[in-house]
Amino acid sequence: MIRYIIKRLLWMIPIILGVTVIVFLLMTFCPGDPAQIILGSTATQADLEAMRVELGLNQSRLVRLATYMNDVFLHFDLGSSWITKVDIASTIADRMPRTLILAVVTLLIAYGLGIPLGIVAATHQNKWQDHISMILALIGVAIPNFWLALLLIIVFSVNLGWLPAMGVGTGIAGLKYYILPGLSNCAGALANCARQTRSSMLDVIRADYITTARSKGVPERSVIYKHGLKNALIPIITQMGTTFGRLLGGAMIIETIFSLPGMGEFIIDAVNNRDYPVVQGGTIVLAIAFSIAMLIIDLLYAAVDPRIKAQYSAAGKKRKKVKANG
Amino acid sequence: MASVTMTKTASPKVKRQSEFARVMKQLSKNKIAMAGLVILIIECLLAALAPLIMPYGYAEMDLTQTFATPSLTHLFGCDDMGRDIFSRVLYGGRFSISIGILAVLISVVIGMIIGALAGYFGGMTDNILMRFLDIVQAIPGMLLMIVISAVLGPGFVNTIIALSVSNIPGMARMLRAQMMKERDNEYIEAAQSINCSKMRIIVSHLLPNCLSPIIVQATMGVAQTITMAASLSFIGLGVQPPAPEWGAMLSAARSFIRQAPHLVIFPGLAIAITVLALNLLGDGLRDALDPKLKN
Repeated sequence: MIRYIIKRLLWMIPIILGVTVIVFLLMTFCPGDPAQIILGSTATQADLEAMRVELGLNQSRLVRLATYMNDVFLHFDLGSSWITKVDIASTIADRMPRTLILAVVTLLIAYGLGIPLGIVAATHQNKWQDHISMILALIGVAIPNFWLALLLIIVFSVNLGWLPAMGVGTGIAGLKYYILPGLSNCAGALANCARQTRSSMLDVIRADYITTARSKGVPERSVIYKHGLKNALIPIITQMGTTFGRLLGGAMIIETIFSLPGMGEFIIDAVNNRDYPVVQGGTIVLAIAFSIAMLIIDLLYAAVDPRIKAQYSAAGKKRKKVKANG
Repeated sequence: MASVTMTKTASPKVKRQSEFARVMKQLSKNKIAMAGLVILIIECLLAALAPLIMPYGYAEMDLTQTFATPSLTHLFGCDDMGRDIFSRVLYGGRFSISIGILAVLISVVIGMIIGALAGYFGGMTDNILMRFLDIVQAIPGMLLMIVISAVLGPGFVNTIIALSVSNIPGMARMLRAQMMKERDNEYIEAAQSINCSKMRIIVSHLLPNCLSPIIVQATMGVAQTITMAASLSFIGLGVQPPAPEWGAMLSAARSFIRQAPHLVIFPGLAIAITVLALNLLGDGLRDALDPKLKN
């Protein structure tokens, strides 16, 4: 098991290096001269030249890439923003928690509502409860999150005035700033969760051990929750992991709409301002966070299902065998 | 390469006419999926015939009608420049639907090539291609799309490219898995034993047998791509105003959310209905194409 974890962590190194190279090269092909954008249209030719030298833009792409990789991976320095001059690493340290909180709030809403909805649908298969849950799920998948965000702002901020439409707060009271973004971001995840819960509950409910439990007189409640749900959870957890990973990067537009200063807003602003170091640094950190999230989910998966744990432990041996045969 | 794949896959399709008929028959039994299909056909017709149906031009301004609420003369009301929202939503369908379909088509073709190569040859080819996809997939999809469209600049064609690039890894992975499942079958061994070329085995034996999951994924993919395209124009990177793309309309409406909330409703509703219809059709296709449910 530990070997598996180490192998996965080591494998992250080439992936992150690859991500860095791809994003760096992509950004260098962006149209528009960063020096011009930083200095504005009134800058003289000499100023522009000086700025280009300062930013290192006069060197070739490969030299710039090598310098950047050296700074990032050997000195752990993500550099500073071209526009605001702030240190990127510390800004990310400020902003990343907000993106994480938003992802967690979204997941809590989505799975807190989605799992019960799925269970109700599965235990009342083909009755009205099932149909209503699945219609809700279909609608949830279809609604674009940024549209839902606008609708929620109209209802809860503009008309009712219950919740703030933008910004962040501190402490526990600050959580209210995450409710609307979380709600607008959760529709798709909620719908997927409900559908997944329904189908995996339906698979489990037909299993022999459920019939056994019922026949020995276990109360229905406990059959569903203790015997059924526990076993149905595995695919739900896997899906939760993928959803969480997607939320880390996918909340960008929601963050922009609610002016929530997280990673997404940071990167979108930087893309619009041609602030290359911020885009690169942000992407690298998000890719690392994403990879770690995926690893944790795989481990969680093993923790829930002993069969998978055995598979991971055996994976090393198996691969050797395959090589020997092939 | 792409064109070869396209023309060659087309030929077995003619022979498989009965298969197509079977799927259509199966699909027509599914009322919900048919509802999705009908909605889509109507939407495509409306978008295609938009210039004939639209009561006003999509860029036609009437400054006496700014922020007009929905009424009989302006079904969905008017926006900040007095442009008729009904006409704009109708015309906007052209952008959203064609971006969705074209982007998915491109990603299916390229994903097919990558997936087929990796899945059929396995070994080194597979390893290199899959590790490359690992890297691309470690970048969150939305972010990759934003960066690519920033590099290419806004516009209709560039949006399609950005969207298809970010769709490719998923398509390629799915086809690879499917290929690996199929390539060990006896009919492939038979084809190899009569000295069929690799190209022929992949294109005319393997691909047709891997098509069902691709069709389902592509249908769902169009839905997702339409939402993504709208998201891109929403943050100002996709199709540019004054083109009435649905996401761009929402983006413009956002500034007037306090004075004129009705501007927000209709473009979003159009996206939601299209996506819903595509998902319904995709679900139905999945059932109809499932060989386990045959007969």
